[in-house]
Amino acid sequence: MSRKLALTFATVCAALAAGVPGALARGSADPGITPTSILLGGTAPLSGSASAFSSVARGAEAYFKYVNARGGVHGRKIEYRYLDDAYNPAQTVQATRQLVESDKVFAIFNSVGTEHNQAIRDYLNQLQVPQLFPATGSTSFGRDYAKYPWTTAGFQPSYQAEGWVYGKYLARTKARAKVAVIFQNDDYGKDLLAGLKKGLQRSSAKIVAAEPYEVTASDVQSQIATLKASGADTLMIFATPRFAIQSFVFVNKLGWKPLIVNNIVSSASSIMTLASEGGTNKAVVGALSGVYLKDPTDPKWADDPGVKLYRQVLKTYAPGANWKDVYHGYGMSVAYTMVEVLKAAGKNPTRASVMAQTAKLSIASNPFLLPGILVKTSATERFAIEQAQLERWENGKWVAFGALWGYRAG
Amino acid sequence: MGRPTSRTVSLGALFLAGCAVVYALPAFISSFRAQQFAYVGIYLIALIGLNILTGYTGQISLGHGAFMAIGGYTTGILISDQGLQIAGHTFSNDVKDLWTIPIAAVVAGAAGFLFGLPALRLSGLYLALATFAVAVSAPAVFKKFETFTGGGTGINLFGIKGLTGSISGVHVFGHKLDFYDWLYYLSWTIALVLLAAAWLLLRGRIGRAFRAVRDSETAAASSGVSLATYKTLAFAVSAAYAGVAGALYAIANTYVNPDTFPITLSIFLLVGVVVGGLGTLSGLVVGAVLVQFLPLWSQEISKSPGAPAVVYGVILIAIMLALPGGVAGLLRRVLPLARRLYTRPR
Amino acid sequence: MPVAFVFSELGQQVVSGLASGAVYAALALALVIIHRSTGVINFAQGEMAMFATYIAWTLDVNHGFPFWGAFFATLAISFVGGVAIQRAVIAPIQGASVLTIVIVTIGLILVLNGAATWLWTGEVRAFDSPFPTRTVDVGGVAISLQDVGTLAVVVGAVAALWAFFRFTKLGLALRAAALNPEASRLVGVRVSWMLALGWGLAAMLGAVAGMLTAPTVFLDPQMMQAILIYAFAAAVLGGIDSPVGAVVGGLLLGVGLNLIGTYAEIDVWFVHVDLTAAELRLPIALFVILVVLLVRPAGLFGKPEVKKV
Repeated sequence: MSRKLALTFATVCAALAAGVPGALARGSADPGITPTSILLGGTAPLSGSASAFSSVARGAEAYFKYVNARGGVHGRKIEYRYLDDAYNPAQTVQATRQLVESDKVFAIFNSVGTEHNQAIRDYLNQLQVPQLFPATGSTSFGRDYAKYPWTTAGFQPSYQAEGWVYGKYLARTKARAKVAVIFQNDDYGKDLLAGLKKGLQRSSAKIVAAEPYEVTASDVQSQIATLKASGADTLMIFATPRFAIQSFVFVNKLGWKPLIVNNIVSSASSIMTLASEGGTNKAVVGALSGVYLKDPTDPKWADDPGVKLYRQVLKTYAPGANWKDVYHGYGMSVAYTMVEVLKAAGKNPTRASVMAQTAKLSIASNPFLLPGILVKTSATERFAIEQAQLERWENGKWVAFGALWGYRAG
Repeated sequence: MGRPTSRTVSLGALFLAGCAVVYALPAFISSFRAQQFAYVGIYLIALIGLNILTGYTGQISLGHGAFMAIGGYTTGILISDQGLQIAGHTFSNDVKDLWTIPIAAVVAGAAGFLFGLPALRLSGLYLALATFAVAVSAPAVFKKFETFTGGGTGINLFGIKGLTGSISGVHVFGHKLDFYDWLYYLSWTIALVLLAAAWLLLRGRIGRAFRAVRDSETAAASSGVSLATYKTLAFAVSAAYAGVAGALYAIANTYVNPDTFPITLSIFLLVGVVVGGLGTLSGLVVGAVLVQFLPLWSQEISKSPGAPAVVYGVILIAIMLALPGGVAGLLRRVLPLARRLYTRPR
Repeated sequence: MPVAFVFSELGQQVVSGLASGAVYAALALALVIIHRSTGVINFAQGEMAMFATYIAWTLDVNHGFPFWGAFFATLAISFVGGVAIQRAVIAPIQGASVLTIVIVTIGLILVLNGAATWLWTGEVRAFDSPFPTRTVDVGGVAISLQDVGTLAVVVGAVAALWAFFRFTKLGLALRAAALNPEASRLVGVRVSWMLALGWGLAAMLGAVAGMLTAPTVFLDPQMMQAILIYAFAAAVLGGIDSPVGAVVGGLLLGVGLNLIGTYAEIDVWFVHVDLTAAELRLPIALFVILVVLLVRPAGLFGKPEVKKV
């Protein structure tokens, strides 16, 4: 054989040897997945007024890095790429298109925002790209699985379910309560309110006043004043942290002393501590809320292995991140579940096989969730978390009471 | 009159060359890039309009995002199941998105005219302030009229009958275009047509009247130019352009809600038109590119929270200090050929 | 939803309105000072105030300053900062078009907001109040001492400004430089430094506004954005060159918005007019801006401008 021919032959063999196994492994031809990596994409408000929620993405990213450092899942490292959408659904659409069409991600994961996920839901389902664990508690995710088979529910108790728990609790323990509600004037606040109404349905407790506020409001003094004037003895705070804190502050300022129920989104210990205004604001004492995640700022979990893991992962893989920002914890808990889903999908996951796994979750070991909470889905029941515990703010910390509440969400 | 004619001819040739480039480009770029450039075309339309208002009549608008929103919602309401019902007949079943574009222009133009009337009494910074206030409160107004606009949840357009090509692509002149290429050709065709229209509008009496208003209102008024007519006309025309851009924006996003038209959109539009180069139609393409890509480039420089905004702001301030004439002003100084072609028509 | 007309409820809405209004007034004061001394409408005033408040916060919390030490240090830093911004960024374009100035102030908004987020993250922070947090009950209406203190500071600032402009040489020079730069130069007024002084003063007032607001609404980078439009409405309503007008405008606006938001729901013949919706609060402020600018641009306390041809 001439030298040239031999060289050519050798080169071709080498190329085949290098390329063919890869090509074979890519047999399913789903993008974003190679023998050594999986590419997940998502959007988060890295800039703008909602940038506090971006910690959800950073927490997940840190956990994936931790898992990668330990060999990844079935030998694949998880790369999680998230883009800024400035909390503007138009940007979410464009960024998601970039992730799907240009970066060719395997799945969209942990995108933040209700309207934002709704804006991309039809598109992703049309292209059969999994929309995994949108970071929102809106009930429509999880309820509409028949219409959107490529979209999973969010990884938190749905807002309606949460409101329902509060309603049922009041119905049981404060039968004649006169309930006032301050709620954010969007899907999130309205969902909570709808759930509360359902929970109060067959009791004598009544909602006597409900005041919405816009995120563009400078403050909520006027709403609290109106609610106080309604003569209610119970106040539901269905507001995001800034406005929840303000609600506590104004309740105190106006000299009103209702039973206060705060919603989960704003219930982190750090937020409650801010609201207590250095201890001078007594309105926080006895306030109730729900909880499903271990709050890292809650002293009772200081020695808990899950919280320790959280802090260690954050310290190593997200240096500079503030461990007291509980949204990191949410991100890690959903990333944990993502890893479990990938593990269960086996050595050669496809988009379809991963989606199938999300409909048969049964995980009790998530270290970041309260003990006893089971992450469970089925063909007809897609809400992953349907348990929460009630807690009461006493002596500057949350004290859980009662058993886990279980409910059928949606 | 040999000189203007030869300049017009060279301008015409340049325009045709530009059209050729625009139409040929998608063959060389990915579908995703085509979609990005479609947005450049959309912003270009809005900037042409804003340029007529701010560059040619000197009225500052920090509120053109609101006119875009009017156009966008017009399209959204007309083609979706949000269901504008007249005498029991659900509108949306029959309406195609393309037909809503001229309607959006008319509705937004009317709004612009209505705003232009009281705006006659406001000048300079006060007008900027008033339009800023309009842009900040517009999302709230759209949210309030929930039955029409879908409130905060907005209107989802993906896959509905009235939205051309979002699922299966489009057949044009025997070619099959996917959705992104379709968006690209749609927005750029409209942009080029409207660019030519603006050029025709501005080179004649109306354009001269506009410039007279900008340079000195008193002089213009005393030489018989009706300030009221031309200023409100400018507002109406520029709002109509923004309405078209908004309609296309809604189509491209396949989604409309109040948060898709935030104050930052209005701000970026004004930034685009000023940085691109005021008073000249040529710098606007640069401006449109900046509106689409500068936020993305800022993120490339640094992703840590807050840093992209700092980068963007610093670049903005630096350009304003160094290049008051915008990028077109720079081009004018740098390119001798450009000087001949880009000089403001007298 | 019809609301029973109870005096104590009305009183409460008025008092709450005064409290919110005092905050609008504080920022409006800064807007007025800049406009009065330099003719510029500073869209970045809110972000400057927010940034100054963060400086106070970080001095207090991270560097161990006592509260009042941090407060006055912040005033000094803001003054210097305002002067610096004017000299570095505004002065070079002072003669340029209005449009350039608008774009530059917008650039400032982005830089300041981004810098605050980058330096201190978007987390919500507590900010101490110089005033006691007790609430006093007067006839069923709760009045917070903190709000009383805020109002007192704002009124005091107006009085101090008035005295400054009226009775001091520096104040006179500032007014002269704004009114007639040419003539002022001829009599020896350093006009360019007067403009810088105006910005420094306004920055200080903004810092005060921020530090009065933060204890109640809590500190985060978006704190002043919501307030800015209301502050503009207050400044326009009261007269964009009048400090007294800024305060009156702010209080009127605060009370007016609360009252409209609570009671403005009536049936006019067959039309149900409902202005109480939460979504309409911002548009109503916009409406105020538009109506005032169109009907009486000088505002309540301003002097109508005569345009020289």
